[in-house]
Amino acid sequence: CVSGVRQAQWLTKTKLVEGLPPAVQGIMDNPALGLQELEERAKHLVSHARLWDTAEVAPRREQYCPVLFENLMHICRLMSGKYPSLSKRMLARNCRIAATWERESILLQVRGLSGILMNSMTPIPPVASKEEILATKEHVLETFYPIAPTIDLQEVNVYKELNDTGQCFRDGYPYSHPHTLFFLESANVCTDRFRPEQLRAKMLMFAFGNALAKAKAVHGNDPKVLEQPVVVQSIGTDGQLFQFMVFQLNTTDLVSNDGVKNLVWIDSDQNLYERAQCVPEVKKRVVTKPAGISGFQPDTFKKFLALYLHGTV
Amino acid sequence: MAAVGAWRLLRPGRRWFSETVPSAPSPPGSPLYPPVVASLTAKSKAAKLRRLQCFNERVHAAATVEEKLRLYGKLQRPKYTVYPQTFALNADRWYRSFTRTVLVPGMPPRAAPTKPPVAAAGETPEADRAPEPGVQAPAVAAAPEAAKTPEPAAGVPCVDIGELRSLACDALLQESFYQKKKRPFLYRDQDHTPGPFLTQLVSTLAASLSGHNPLLAASSLDLNPEVNYYWHHGEEVVVHGHRKGRIDPVRFQINDNPHLQIRVPKQLPEVVPLESDLGDVPVIDHKPSKLPLFKKQYENKVFIGSKVADPCCYGHTQFHLLPDKLKRERFLRKRLEDQIEVVYRSNGIASLFAWTAAQAMYQGFWSEADVSRPFVSQAVVTDGKYFAFFCYQLNTLALTAETVRNNPRKNICWGTDSKPLYDVVEDGNVKGFNDEVLLQLVHFLLNRPKEL
Repeated sequence: CVSGVRQAQWLTKTKLVEGLPPAVQGIMDNPALGLQELEERAKHLVSHARLWDTAEVAPRREQYCPVLFENLMHICRLMSGKYPSLSKRMLARNCRIAATWERESILLQVRGLSGILMNSMTPIPPVASKEEILATKEHVLETFYPIAPTIDLQEVNVYKELNDTGQCFRDGYPYSHPHTLFFLESANVCTDRFRPEQLRAKMLMFAFGNALAKAKAVHGNDPKVLEQPVVVQSIGTDGQLFQFMVFQLNTTDLVSNDGVKNLVWIDSDQNLYERAQCVPEVKKRVVTKPAGISGFQPDTFKKFLALYLHGTV
Repeated sequence: MAAVGAWRLLRPGRRWFSETVPSAPSPPGSPLYPPVVASLTAKSKAAKLRRLQCFNERVHAAATVEEKLRLYGKLQRPKYTVYPQTFALNADRWYRSFTRTVLVPGMPPRAAPTKPPVAAAGETPEADRAPEPGVQAPAVAAAPEAAKTPEPAAGVPCVDIGELRSLACDALLQESFYQKKKRPFLYRDQDHTPGPFLTQLVSTLAASLSGHNPLLAASSLDLNPEVNYYWHHGEEVVVHGHRKGRIDPVRFQINDNPHLQIRVPKQLPEVVPLESDLGDVPVIDHKPSKLPLFKKQYENKVFIGSKVADPCCYGHTQFHLLPDKLKRERFLRKRLEDQIEVVYRSNGIASLFAWTAAQAMYQGFWSEADVSRPFVSQAVVTDGKYFAFFCYQLNTLALTAETVRNNPRKNICWGTDSKPLYDVVEDGNVKGFNDEVLLQLVHFLLNRPKEL
C-alpha cells in the first residue's frame, strides 16, 4: 500500500505521535517494579525460544515466534504474584473483529482475525490529557492527492453492517475491555510476512476497529466526541523486531475531516536482540561468531512489560 | 661380523661356566605382553561382552552430557514405539512392567509446609490416602469440613480458594460460553474447548500462585512441547534378517506431546527414600508386541522439552489432554468401563517415566550409572472435565537385562482416579464445581523443595 501508516491515519482520522506516551514511560522508569532483575530471565527466555526449544538444531520462525510470545506473556503474568489485580486479564485467541464507519462519504469496514486479544475487567485510563485532545483540532490530516485514500482497499458489497466486539464475545462477558492486541508474523517465508510498515498499519486498523466497536457498544451508534476516550494497545512482532502502539479513540465522528482527532503513539522497529546463533560460526578454524544470543536490548523487553502493566499499575 | 655373533653366542655359556648368581628379574615396569582379552570383532559371546564393555567405557568417558546422549542413542535398530495415550486394553500393567514401576493408589503424604503461618498441616482432602505421618493425625478428622470452607483453603496457608475458583470458572466460561467460535472441526472437539480452557486455567493459576511458590516464579512454561526417551529392557532373540538368532536387548522409545508443561530450575523433593519398596512390579511373560506394540527404526531421541543448556532442567508438572479417540463415551459404548481409568493411568505412568528418566539423563545418569538421588515429577491427565493426578518418583534407570538382575530399586507412581471438575456449563454458569479437584491442582502447583 502507498505508505501504510499514513494511509491508515487518514482512514481512521488519527494524529501520530512518535514514541510511547509518558504514562508508559513512567511505568518503565518505576524502580519499584524490579525490572532489572527480570532482565536475566528475559535473556533466558529469548535463548529458550530461539535456541533450546527443539530437538533439532535450530527452530524455525513458525515455532520460535509463538514460543517467544508465550514466554514473554508468562513472565508478564508472573507479575500478578506481586500485583494481584493483574489476574483480572484474559487472553482470547482467534478473535474475529468487525467494525464499520464512514469517512467522507466512503463506507469503510475492518474485518478479520485480529490475532491474540487480551481483555481486562477495567479499562485503560486515557493517556492524553484534555488539552492535548482539544489541540488535535488544529491538526490537518495528510492527504495523498491525487491518489484516493482508499487505494489498495478491497471494495465489497456490505449487506450487514456488523459492529461489535460482541461479535466475538457474548453479553455479560466480565472481561469486557479490550486491552492489548498481539500480532505475530510467524510465517517462515519472508514474503508471507508483513513488512514492518504494513504491520504497523494493520495494527493501527485493528486497534481502531476494536476501540470503535467498544465505544459504540458503550456509547451508542451516534457519532460524537467521547467523554471517556477508549484506549487500546497493540504489539506486533516477527520474533525479533517489535512494534509498540498505543491508540486512543477520542471521537466517533469520522465523517468530516475537522474536529477532534484520534491519537496514536507508535514506537517502531525495536530489536529485542541482534542475533541468535544456534551453532557457532567457524571460519578457517577460528570461531567468528559464538553460539548464543548477542546484542540483547533490555529496553524492548521493558516496553513490552510496561504495556502489559499499563492500566493496572 | 662372525666374531661378534660368536661373542653373543658364547655369553650365556660364559655365565653358565662362571656360576654367577643370575641377576634378579628386572622389576616389571610395564607388562611384557598386552593383557589377554577377548577379541573385539569375533562372533562370540566373549567378544560381544567386550564390545559392550568398550561402549560403556566410551559413554562413561564422554566429556559433556550432549556427547553422552549422542553416544547412547547412536546405534539405530528396530524398537517398540510406546504411546502414552493408547486404547490398548490393560496397557497400564504392561507399561509398569516395561518401566519397573509400582502403582500406589491415592496421593503421597506431603510433609507439613514449614513457612509460618500454617493454618493446618498440609493434607489433601482425598478419600483414599496412603498412611500419613503422626503430625497430621489430629487434623484428619477436621479435613472433610475444612475442605468446604471457602477461604483460606484447608491445609494450604494464605491461599484464597474463592479467588482461584472464580479464575477457573472464568476460564471455563470464556472458552465454552462467552467467546463465539465456529463449530469444532470433525473429531477435533478437544482442540475447540478443553484445550484452550486447560491452557488458560494453568497459565492463570500458575501466575496467581507464583506469589506463594517462588519456584513457580522462576519456572518456564512450555506449550505443546516434545518429550522423548529411549531405553532397553529385557532380552529377545532376533527373529528374521541377517542378524537372525542373536540375542538383542528389547528397545523402547516414547515420543510424547503433553499439552502443557512447567519446568523449573530446582528439583522437587523426594517423596520416599531411594530404596523404598512399596509394592510389586507386574511380570508379563508375553512379548511386548502382544499389547499391541509395533517396531520401527528411527532416531533415538532423549529430550525433556528443551536442550541441555537450559537452566530449567528439572520437571515440575505436566498437563495431558486426552484426544477424541479416547473419550469416555466411546468406552461406555463399547462396554469397556473399566478401561477408562486404565487410559489415565497408562498416560500418567508412561509420560512421567519418560520425563523423569530424560531429566536424569540430562544430569549425566544412565543405565550403567544409576541415579544417586530420586527424580520427582507430577502430571495431570484430563479430558477437559475429568481430572486425574499422578506423582512419579524415579529411583532407578538400570532397566537393561544386565543391570536389572541385581537391582532392588523400583520406580514408584502415585495416582488417583479421574474426578470431574464441574458438572455442566449452562447459561453462563458453572454448575457443580468440585473444589476438591481444584485444591489438588493447587497443591500440585505449590509443590516445591523444602528450602524454598
